[in-house]
Amino acid sequence: MANSRSELGTIIRGVARDPLGLSGLIIVGMIVLSALLASWITPYDPVAINIKDRMQGPSLTHLLGTDQLGRDTFSRVIMGGQVALKVALPAVFGAMAIGLTLGMLAGYGPKWLDNFLILIFDTIRSFPTVMFALAVVALVGPSLQTVVFVVMATSIPTYGRVARTQTLTLRNSEFILAERSMGASMARILGVHMLPNIIGVLAVLAAMDIPTVIALEAGLSFLGLGVKPPTPSWGALLKDGYALIRQTPWLVVGGGLPIIFATLGFTFLGESLRDVIDPKLRKNR
Amino acid sequence: MLKYAVKRFALAALILFVAVTAMFLMIRAVPGDPVQIMLGPRATPELQAALTAKLALDQPIWKQLLIFYGNMLQGDLGIDVFSERPVTEIVFQQLPHTLQLIFAAILWSALLGIGLGAYAAAHPNTLIDRFAAALSVSFVAAPAFVVALLSLLVFAVQLKWFPAIGVGEGLGDKLYHLVLPAFAIGLSWVGYIARLVRASMLEVMGENHIRTARAFGLSENRIVMVYALRIAILPVVTVIGVGIGFLLSAAVFAEIVFARPGLGKLVIDSITTRNYPIVMGSVLVSTALFVVSTAIADLVNAWLDPRARDSV
Repeated sequence: MANSRSELGTIIRGVARDPLGLSGLIIVGMIVLSALLASWITPYDPVAINIKDRMQGPSLTHLLGTDQLGRDTFSRVIMGGQVALKVALPAVFGAMAIGLTLGMLAGYGPKWLDNFLILIFDTIRSFPTVMFALAVVALVGPSLQTVVFVVMATSIPTYGRVARTQTLTLRNSEFILAERSMGASMARILGVHMLPNIIGVLAVLAAMDIPTVIALEAGLSFLGLGVKPPTPSWGALLKDGYALIRQTPWLVVGGGLPIIFATLGFTFLGESLRDVIDPKLRKNR
Repeated sequence: MLKYAVKRFALAALILFVAVTAMFLMIRAVPGDPVQIMLGPRATPELQAALTAKLALDQPIWKQLLIFYGNMLQGDLGIDVFSERPVTEIVFQQLPHTLQLIFAAILWSALLGIGLGAYAAAHPNTLIDRFAAALSVSFVAAPAFVVALLSLLVFAVQLKWFPAIGVGEGLGDKLYHLVLPAFAIGLSWVGYIARLVRASMLEVMGENHIRTARAFGLSENRIVMVYALRIAILPVVTVIGVGIGFLLSAAVFAEIVFARPGLGKLVIDSITTRNYPIVMGSVLVSTALFVVSTAIADLVNAWLDPRARDSV
């Protein structure tokens, strides 16, 4: 871990050499790029209502047709990618940061703290995710922030558990014992010596977690309990398409395929990342 | 084993206790008077006072919690404000529909997943193995509600092979109505189980008793189907236990998409009408279901593999 930049380069090269990883990289790259450039590459304003052109099938003017309010589906799909990442990235990174901190504290701190944190983790995990999300939404009302909060709350335990296990294994390794006998502070041991050894595994977990988060956001928006209209979310597209499934089936396809596509991309990337970062985790593939 | 079982169920009870308490406090922490929300803005003060007293909302919070637990242990989760029927009755009326869906999904995905995984392990690195691996990843990738919507669109709306809504009447018709929803929420499990079985199968195939069976000249098919699969199937048991919780989440969507009655539909409908007792009751029952099924899966696992008993 001496030179973290060249380390990162090695990892990316390793992923790109694997066909699965390369296709993951390409898909994720496309999604990120289209989300970043969304305002420029959408042919129409994704929220502009145009009743005259409503419920049109796919054509050259409207690649994926229009919805019941005449909004261009293709533009909404592109913009929906931006919304999906806006929810997924902060939620995943937030959950990872909090989970990592709590997990390391549980693994390194006193036994009572470990027991307490484990109980909290297990409790959160005991709610079926969607049921928990629904309970929270029912209480505080639907919004983008609610979705981010729910996702963070439900995935912190996963990161926490893994960080804890890693910390426990490292805790009695010789280099940590040496560091402790030299009088290093807990913050230094955790931050400087443990963190670099844990972060890789968590990064793999995060890559695999992003699709789950995207699906949860889309799912809540589909139920009308996530991102508020007229914000174009893939889930909102599915909701509109489901309501008029006989008239505008292209909305269901336009909202559904990007979710599957994104899930595939991030899963491929995560699997390949795992093989490169931690070959020990590799199963017989 | 008994010691482990006691410890494991004590843990489950503790988790449930913390979860229920947290949920109770969360509901009370929400701004706004629940009575006003339930009765609407035009309720008379007398009516509001009566309901407040009935729900014990005028008591201190710890007393409310005690009353709540007291009632819960007697199977009383409160009264639905609109229909005035007990919440327990409403929830348990819907639960069987959800359970039927979950078990149908587990059944078909486990059977197909085990078959696929066993076949792939018996013929490693062939075209079919590769194909099964690619299929597994793709299946895992598809979120249940997207699969539900797309299969509704293709198989029910366009091709009209299956009914789009409802649960049907009579056994045959019920099963017919179960096909698409069970397909949708089970699909991602096929791939997952197939990968699991394949990995554990490959491990088992290297063990001594398989070598012995080979030395006896048994046919490869018999070795795979009878001697290896019996052991390789064990991890699936645990996964199914944990899977019930995930399938519960997926079932919520399947019930909405296919307009089936069930726990998920009940919760969504209750959220729209702000019917908190029903939301709370359903979340509680589903959480309990999840906690208990995970505990049972752990017990089965500990029974099969004594090494797992040290981990509580």
